[in-house]
Amino acid sequence: MQNAELIGLTRQTALKRNLSVIANNLANLNTSGFKGENLLFEEYMMPVASMSEFRRPDRPLSYVQDFTSFRDMSEGDVRITDNPLDVAVDGKGWFVVDTPDGERFTRAGNFQLNANGELVTVNGDTVQGQAGPIVFAPDETNLNIARDGTISTSAGVRGRLRVVEFENEKTLRPIGRNLFIADGENNLPTDMAAPRVQQGALEGSNVNGVNEMTRMIEVTRAYQTVAQMMKDQNDLMTNAIQTLGTTDS
Amino acid sequence: MKALHIAATGMKAQELNVEVISNNLANMRTTGYKRQRAEFQDLLYQNLRRMGTETSDAGTLVPTGVQIGSGVRTAATSRIMSQGNVESTEKDLDVAVKGEGFFQIDLPDGTTAYTRDGSFERDADGQLVTVDGYTLQPGITIPDDALDITISTDGQVQGTVNGNVQTFGQIQLARFTNKAGLQAIGENLFLETEASGAPQVSNPGDDSTGTLLHKYLEMANVEAVTEITDLISAQRAYEMNSRVIQAADEMMQTSSQLR
Repeated sequence: MQNAELIGLTRQTALKRNLSVIANNLANLNTSGFKGENLLFEEYMMPVASMSEFRRPDRPLSYVQDFTSFRDMSEGDVRITDNPLDVAVDGKGWFVVDTPDGERFTRAGNFQLNANGELVTVNGDTVQGQAGPIVFAPDETNLNIARDGTISTSAGVRGRLRVVEFENEKTLRPIGRNLFIADGENNLPTDMAAPRVQQGALEGSNVNGVNEMTRMIEVTRAYQTVAQMMKDQNDLMTNAIQTLGTTDS
Repeated sequence: MKALHIAATGMKAQELNVEVISNNLANMRTTGYKRQRAEFQDLLYQNLRRMGTETSDAGTLVPTGVQIGSGVRTAATSRIMSQGNVESTEKDLDVAVKGEGFFQIDLPDGTTAYTRDGSFERDADGQLVTVDGYTLQPGITIPDDALDITISTDGQVQGTVNGNVQTFGQIQLARFTNKAGLQAIGENLFLETEASGAPQVSNPGDDSTGTLLHKYLEMANVEAVTEITDLISAQRAYEMNSRVIQAADEMMQTSSQLR
């Protein structure tokens, strides 16, 4: 008899996680280069528990389990900022960042300069050019980033931004700080032959507020329905115990 | 309920975003002000089901796994050091920098501060000072009887004394490798930091430091339209995050009313 409650509980746990994912998407509504996330659920056949109350015994029970979170890798809205150090990638393509732990990838092009004149991210990690880091001398002006990522200043060409692509972007795993890591051995990035970048623009988050709000309403309502079902089940059992327990003497 | 805390980080981030925007708008007419922008980043992820783990003896792998983020944080409020518009003021001692350089100002405690605000005045001794009375470095003294003061594009301060043209001094500009790394201390002043690099002082006129414009002032580089649209999106994001908190609260309430 308790199976209905246990199944309801798996659904509630899954819904709570789903709300966390929605909350994370909405919290990052204004984060540059953020990619929204979504949970997928699957049926989980319980191997040990089965229903045996009625005729035809051993009917399997299906529980709910979240089996994957898939990341929406579509492009976010690009907004014009007119800041010479902001770069957005058109279409596929990732900037490569050197962190102390190794190469990481990002779509957030809000770059800065550090005290040595190197192009870095807001965390101070160096942005890779095709021939090492991109360094500017203090007396250079008129920084210009061409559509193919070539960076030139008053002192001539200073390098070219390294933009890479992946065969399967879904294998990229976020590690926070707008960075992604490529897991797996055969998931190596390939340098894009003709990347298209835009200077003075930033890619925003690809989270759609309206979609997230509707999904959130769905989640809360589903949660309430499951809770109601569990309550009904509980009432049913209480009734059963009371009715069956009363002996007509 | 993780969602509660995640939504709280979102609300805090947007609150800070609105603070930055309001400071930009408040300084829309501040001479030499450079606008700021809040930069956000996602926080750490919790791996509930790690991608790449084996799902069977045959070596099948979890393709993408289950990852749940933990919200957002503010990484920086970076300063956008683009050139502001210059406005004609017809005032004798107003100078605007067209280019990258900063004026150097002696603070009362002996340190040097840097500013783009070129609205200078003369103090009782005839020295060039800022509107707060801090002296311009290197010091330039203009005699009482000087007439027709001009400041050339390369920083020469000249005027006529008794009918003769005299040079009173040379304005120098400092520039930084990373001017966005300067620390703002209010009063339109900035201080050198580890991140900005050391100042390189030179005479105005060459391409890199910039040239001077006499009788002009540099306005703030704040654009009202950009700020207002940013404000709208920040406010909406704040609202949506507060709705998530409500939803999480409702779900918890439902649970607590189960019996």
